[in-house]
Amino acid sequence: MTIDLTVNGQPRRFAGDPRTPLIDLLREDLRLTGAKAVCREGFCGTCTVLVDGQPVPACLRPVGLLAGAEITTVEGLAPQGDLNPVQRAFLDHDVVQCGMCFSGMVVTLTALLHRNTAPTRAEVKAALTGNMCRCTGYERIVDAVLSLAPADPPTEAAR
Amino acid sequence: MPAAAQSPPMVLPRSVADALAALALPGAQAVAGASWVMRAPLRHEPQAPTWVALAGIEDLHRCDITGDRVRLGALVTHDRLAHALPAAPDLRALAQAAAGAANPGVRRIATLGGNLCATGFAAADLAPALLALDATVEIATPQGRESLPMEDFLTRRGAPGPWLLTEVTIPRGPWRSAHARLPMRKAGDYPAAIVSLSATLTPERRIERLLAAIGAVEQAPRRWHALETRAKGEPLAALADLAQDTAGITARDALDAPGWYRLRILPTLVRRAAEAIAEDTA
Repeated sequence: MTIDLTVNGQPRRFAGDPRTPLIDLLREDLRLTGAKAVCREGFCGTCTVLVDGQPVPACLRPVGLLAGAEITTVEGLAPQGDLNPVQRAFLDHDVVQCGMCFSGMVVTLTALLHRNTAPTRAEVKAALTGNMCRCTGYERIVDAVLSLAPADPPTEAAR
Repeated sequence: MPAAAQSPPMVLPRSVADALAALALPGAQAVAGASWVMRAPLRHEPQAPTWVALAGIEDLHRCDITGDRVRLGALVTHDRLAHALPAAPDLRALAQAAAGAANPGVRRIATLGGNLCATGFAAADLAPALLALDATVEIATPQGRESLPMEDFLTRRGAPGPWLLTEVTIPRGPWRSAHARLPMRKAGDYPAAIVSLSATLTPERRIERLLAAIGAVEQAPRRWHALETRAKGEPLAALADLAQDTAGITARDALDAPGWYRLRILPTLVRRAAEAIAEDTA
């Protein structure tokens, strides 16, 4: 059983056990080590990647269910050597502490801003429910994301 | 002598009939979103030799909502369900259960069918909500299809196969419902206890009919029949007091909470659910 999928825009073929977690394919086979394998039960969020645009824990996605899927990891969010707006905001706000959680945070928040360009503080926190920061740096993370809101955001009523 | 053919690690049927045929393979296990089976190694459970991955069966993705009933295929995810359900008082418990379970990433993966069929998962959110909404479950077997009440399904779901949960049907009506849960953190982890209620009230706001269900307290979710009986004819506001009597509930001890704590918080969760129903009727 071979599975064809796309990872960061590049076609990939996987011929191993289809029950293999996506996180292991990314880290062990493709050497994309931005996503971290930490809890392996979908709680911590460090392995979050985009599957067809949706942020999901890669530890819980068997590769066999991903035929034809478009996978985007933190390495694929911006051109090589560049940063996407969330990564830039993290840098500007000195968000990163130990660094374990931030790739998952960046992926989750990039997806959030894609569907909601001006989230409220509560919406940012709700989106981050599945991303844990062991350094407890949540407020700075939220501040960084809110700094990306447009100068004249839509009102709640207009959404 | 030719070697015996080895079962494949994963098969991807396109129909319920093909899935049932695959489930007859030795050790085969149905897999929906896979969020539960992927964690089998952490629970020190052996991995099934063959996964029958249901994702390619179109019929199991149905999500039909009308004024009379809701029909949900087994592969509807929590996230899709939370977004699809209307803001209707009778369905509120299910909407709250779907929107509040686990975390956003898991909700995009975890399915209705997986939530109901994971026998070792005591803290499933959808199961008590569906119990309180008097849902029925459709099961497919090689002999045909059978509908049975959610309560019966939960007692029979460990039966040997092959069988497949194909859909869940929820009746609509003039009742109001609510779902209350208490995780150890504000969100994102398993709740220590869950209470789902649906209530039909008299004009005097007394309880005409109550369906109550608990989750995460015992090893499996179940109806709280004793509370339902005591509540008949009582004011909605008295429900939490009536829930102080937890006789007959055998709470489980686990790492996240001891059994006595689960029992202690049940009246509080009943009060919160009752207050949510009362707000709806105000």
